[in-house]
Amino acid sequence: MKRVATVSVLLVASLALAACGGSSKSSSSKRVNLTLWAGWSAGTHELKAFKSLVDEYNAKQKKIHVKVVGDINDTKIVAAIRSGTAPDIVSSFNSYNVGNYCGTGAWIDLSPYLKKDHIDVNEFPPATRYYTQYGGKRCALPLLADTYGLYYNKTLFANAGIKRPPKTISELTADVKKLTQRSSDGTIQVAGLDPLIGFYENVPERWSTSFNVKWLKPGGTSSDIADDPGWRKLFEWQKSLVDWYGYGKLVRFQSGLGDEFSASQAFEKGKLAMNLDGEWRVAFIADEVPHLNYGTAPMPVDDAHPELYGSGYINGTIIGIPKGKKHNDEAWQVVKYLTTDPHFLAQFSNKIRNVPTTKAALRSSEIQPDPHFSTFLKIFSNPHSTTSPIMASGVAYTNFVQSFFTKWQGSNGQGLEGKLRSLAKELDAQVKQAGGGGSAVP
Amino acid sequence: MSAVTAPVALVRRRPPASVRRKRFLLAVANHSLLIAAAVAFLAPFIFILLTSLMTNNQALSTSLWPHPIRWSNFYDVFTKAPFWRWALNTLQYSVLATIGLVLSSVPVAYALARLRWRGRQVSFLIVLIALMLPPQVTVVPLYVMWAKLHLVGTLWPVILPNWFGDAFSIFLLRQFFLTIPEEYLDAARVDGCGELRIVATVVTRLAKPAIAAVALFSFLYTFNDFFLPLLYTGENPHHWVLSLGLSEFRSLHQVQWNLTMAATLLVMAPVIVLFFLAQRAFVEGVTLTGVKG
Amino acid sequence: MRLRPAADAGAVSVPASPALARRPGKRRAAWRRRRLVLLLMSPWIVGFTVFFGYPLVMSVYLSFTHYDLLSSPRWIGTANYRYLFHDDPQVWTAVKNTLWYIAVAVPLQVLFAFGIALMLARARRGVGIFRTIFYLPALAPPVAATLGFVYILNPATGPVNVLLGHLGVQGPLWFHDPHWSKPALVALTVWGVGNTMVIFLAAVLDVPRHLYESAELDGAGVFSRLRWVTLPSISPVILFAVVFNVIQGLQYFTQAYVAAGVAAGQASQAADVTAVNLGYPQDSTLFYPVLLYQHGFTDFQMGYASAMSVLLLVVSFAITLVIVLNSRRWVYQAAPR
Repeated sequence: MKRVATVSVLLVASLALAACGGSSKSSSSKRVNLTLWAGWSAGTHELKAFKSLVDEYNAKQKKIHVKVVGDINDTKIVAAIRSGTAPDIVSSFNSYNVGNYCGTGAWIDLSPYLKKDHIDVNEFPPATRYYTQYGGKRCALPLLADTYGLYYNKTLFANAGIKRPPKTISELTADVKKLTQRSSDGTIQVAGLDPLIGFYENVPERWSTSFNVKWLKPGGTSSDIADDPGWRKLFEWQKSLVDWYGYGKLVRFQSGLGDEFSASQAFEKGKLAMNLDGEWRVAFIADEVPHLNYGTAPMPVDDAHPELYGSGYINGTIIGIPKGKKHNDEAWQVVKYLTTDPHFLAQFSNKIRNVPTTKAALRSSEIQPDPHFSTFLKIFSNPHSTTSPIMASGVAYTNFVQSFFTKWQGSNGQGLEGKLRSLAKELDAQVKQAGGGGSAVP
Repeated sequence: MSAVTAPVALVRRRPPASVRRKRFLLAVANHSLLIAAAVAFLAPFIFILLTSLMTNNQALSTSLWPHPIRWSNFYDVFTKAPFWRWALNTLQYSVLATIGLVLSSVPVAYALARLRWRGRQVSFLIVLIALMLPPQVTVVPLYVMWAKLHLVGTLWPVILPNWFGDAFSIFLLRQFFLTIPEEYLDAARVDGCGELRIVATVVTRLAKPAIAAVALFSFLYTFNDFFLPLLYTGENPHHWVLSLGLSEFRSLHQVQWNLTMAATLLVMAPVIVLFFLAQRAFVEGVTLTGVKG
Repeated sequence: MRLRPAADAGAVSVPASPALARRPGKRRAAWRRRRLVLLLMSPWIVGFTVFFGYPLVMSVYLSFTHYDLLSSPRWIGTANYRYLFHDDPQVWTAVKNTLWYIAVAVPLQVLFAFGIALMLARARRGVGIFRTIFYLPALAPPVAATLGFVYILNPATGPVNVLLGHLGVQGPLWFHDPHWSKPALVALTVWGVGNTMVIFLAAVLDVPRHLYESAELDGAGVFSRLRWVTLPSISPVILFAVVFNVIQGLQYFTQAYVAAGVAAGQASQAADVTAVNLGYPQDSTLFYPVLLYQHGFTDFQMGYASAMSVLLLVVSFAITLVIVLNSRRWVYQAAPR
C-alpha cells in the first residue's frame, strides 16, 4: 500500500514537471514558492491590480513564484512574526511600526542586499527613505507612497457660490460653514467637512503639515507636543469647529454614513462637501462614481504659515522580509523588483493611483497623467511635506496622540495646557517602557 | 408530606370571591408583564431579521421594513466571504474539543467523586480555583509555548487543552456522579468489574444526561469562543472559525449592515436549531450547573 | 433532575486505614488503588501542570522581564510594575471600567433573572413558550449578538433610535458616546440573562410548597413570602450566580472588543490601525482584559502583559474570596433535605 502511494506521488510529480513546458532546465524544477502578505483588500480593485502585476512577474522569470495574500494588517504581521508563522515577504500599509520592526529585528536589515546589488538609497524620495529605517537599520523599502490632500465636491461648491478650494485654515472654516446643510430639526444633512478625529482618514498626523507641528524636542526623543505652538493651534481650531457643529450632532451624522472603502463612502455619495483623503481615492471615484464632479487640492494651512501651502502628509506601503525565513535571497529579488522596477511601479501607480516611490518611476513616461492625481504628485515632491516620527513603541505612539485627541474633541475644551503636559509625559514614559528612543522627522 | 398537604387542600378548596378576584388580577398583571418582557427580548432578533432582508441603500436609511425583500442577501454572504470554510473550521474545533473533553473529564470527575484518597479535597479545590480564574492570567506564557511549538496559526492550541480535562466539566460531572446510588456500583463490583470497567460502562450509562449536558456546553462554548481563536488564528484566515470571521466580515468585505445582519443570523442559526432539537437536555444541563455541591 | 446534596455520602471507602494496609495483600490492594487514582486523574494532572501551573509560574517570571518574543527575556526588575502602577495612563481607566461593569451588570443580571423566574413560576399558561423566548438570547453567539446590538443601537439609522424619534425623543449615541457605551453593553448582557434565569426558575420551583402555605396561613403577604421564604431558599443559587457572573465580568472581552471595533470601524478605517479602535469611544469600553490583549498581542510587550496578568490573578482571587467568605452571612444554610 505504501509503495503504491510512493509511486503515485512520483508519477504526479513527474507529470507536474512535464507540465512546466519546454524550457525544462534544472532551475525550473527548483522554482521557489514565496508567499507575500499585502494590506490591499479583496473587497476592492486594489488587490486585483496588485495580483495581476505580480503574476506578470511570475510569468517573466522561472526561478520564483510569488503568491499574494491580501487583507493583512499590522496586527496580523506582528503576531505572525512573533509566533514564527510569517510569510516570506511582508508588506504593511504604513510605516507606523517601523520603529518596532527594525528595532526588534522582526524585519531583517536590507542594507547588505542593497549594497550587494549597488542600489543607491537616494533613489528613494527623502520622506520614504526616512520612514523605512530605524536605529541605523533599513529593514523596509517603500512600495508606492500615500499623500493626503483635500477632495472637494465642485457641484456643492458652485451651489454655495465658492470659486476655489480654501488655502488657509480661516478660509477652510468659512467654507465649511457655508457648505454645511442642516434639516429643520438641526440634523446635519451635508457636512462641509467632518473634523472629528477617527473619521475615515482623519487622524492627527494628517494635519501636521497644515499647522507645522513638531513631534519631538530638538535633538532628543522627548515629546514636544506640550510646547509646540502648532499642536496647540491644531487642537484649538479643531475643537472650535467641532463645537460649531455640536459634537453629538456630528457623531450622529457620521454614524449614519457608509463605510470608507465601500461604494457608499460619504464623499462619493455627496454627503461631504470636502474630505481629507489619500490619493488612492482618485481611483476609487473613477471606479465607483466616475461622473462625480470633484477636484483635489493640497490641505489648507495655518494663516501664519502661507509658505506651507502645497505640502502634505506622506506615508506609504512598506515591504520587507521577516526574520527567520529560509528563502531570503529569493525574497530579496522580489522585494527589489517591487520597489525599484520602474515599469512595475508605474503600472501599479496607474492602477491604484498611489504615488511611485523611486525617482526613475516618478519620471517614467508610463505614468498616465490625471489632473486629480497630479495634485498629489506635487504634494509628494513639496519640500515641506513630512511624515510621522518613527518611534520604538511603534504605532502605539501615534495611537496615544489620537486617543488623546478623541477625548479632547468630546470634552468641554478646558485646560488644554495641562492635558498636553501629561500627554507629553505619557508619551515619554511609553517610549521608555518600549525599551528605546526614536528619531525625529528630518 | 401528606400530613401537611391534607389540611391545606381543605383550606384551598374554595377561597372567597374577593381572594379569587385578586388572584385573577394578579395573574393578568403577571402575564402582561411577561408579554412585555418577551417582546423586548424578541425585538433584537426581529430587527436583525428585517435588516438582513434590506438592500444596501435601505440599510443606510431610517426605514425599518425591508422593501423590496432581498432574500438573495443570504446567498451573497456566501459569495462575499468563505463562510463554508469558517463553518468547517468551527466544526473541527467543536467536535475534536468536545470528544477530548468528555473522554478526559469523566475519569477525573469519577476519581474526585467516588474514590477516597489522600489529596482528593485539595485536588478538587484546585479544580475550583482553575474554574474561577480568568484565562487571561495564563495566556501570555501559553502563547509563548505554542509559538515555540510552531502551532500558532492553527486551531491546535485551542483544541488540545481540552484533551486534558476541563475544570468546568469535571466540576459538573463530579456533582452528578455524587448522586449515583452506591448500590449500582456495588452490584457491578460484585460481578467482578474493575473500577475502570465501572467508569467505562455503569457510570457512563447512568450519567448520560450529565455527559450530554457537558458535551452540549462544550459545543456551545467552542462555537461561541472568540478570544482564543482570535489569539491563535487571528493572522491566518485559513483557520478562522465563524465567530472570528463574522467579527471581521464587515470591515474586510466592505459590506453594509444588511449583509452583516444576514451573516449574523446565519451564525446564530445552528445554535438555535440545536436548541430546539435538544431543548430538554439544555434546560436540564443549565439547571445542573446551578445546583450547589 | 434532583440532585442529592453533596458530601462524601456516596464515596467508596477505600481501605486505606494503616491497620489494614499492614497486611501484604491489602498493601498491594492499596497500591493498586493509588495506581488507579493516578490513572484516572492523569489527564488533569498533565493538563493542570502544562496549561495551568507552568504558565502561572512563567507569568510571574516574565512580569519581571522585557520580552518581545524575538529575543530572549531580559530581566528588568520591577520596571513593568512601576509602569503599571505609575505611568500607564490606560490601566486605571481599564480597572475602573471593569469594576463599573461588574458593579452594574451583576446585580442587574440577578435582578432580571430573578424577576423573570418569579413571573414564570407564577404563570399558568404558555410557560414553555415564554421560557424559550427568554432563554434564546443566551444562546446567541456573543459576536453575533454584539453585532446585532451595535446595529440596532446605531444612533442615526438603528431601529431603537428611529422608534424613539417617532415618539419625539432623540435617542442617545449609544456605542458612540462614552457615557452610553457601557450601559449599552450592560443591556446586551442583560438580554443574554437566560442561563441564570433557568437556574433561578428551577430553584424557585424547588422551594417546598408547604413553606409558602404555612407562611400564608401565618398571614404573610406576597412580599413577605418572597422575603422570608423564596429568597432564603434560593440564596445558594443566588450566590452561585453572583460568583459566576463576577468571574465572567473579570474576563469580559469579546463583546467589548467587537462592539468597539465595529462601532469605530463604521466611521473610520484610518490607516487600518486596529489597536486604536480598542476601547472606542474614548477608552470607555477599554476593559482590563482588552488592555491586556492590546499590550500582549498587538504591541507584543509580553513582559508587561505578564505583569498585568499577575495583577489580574491577585485581584480576581481576592474578589472571589471576599464574596465566598462573606456569603456565610447571608446564604441560608439549608438543613439536609
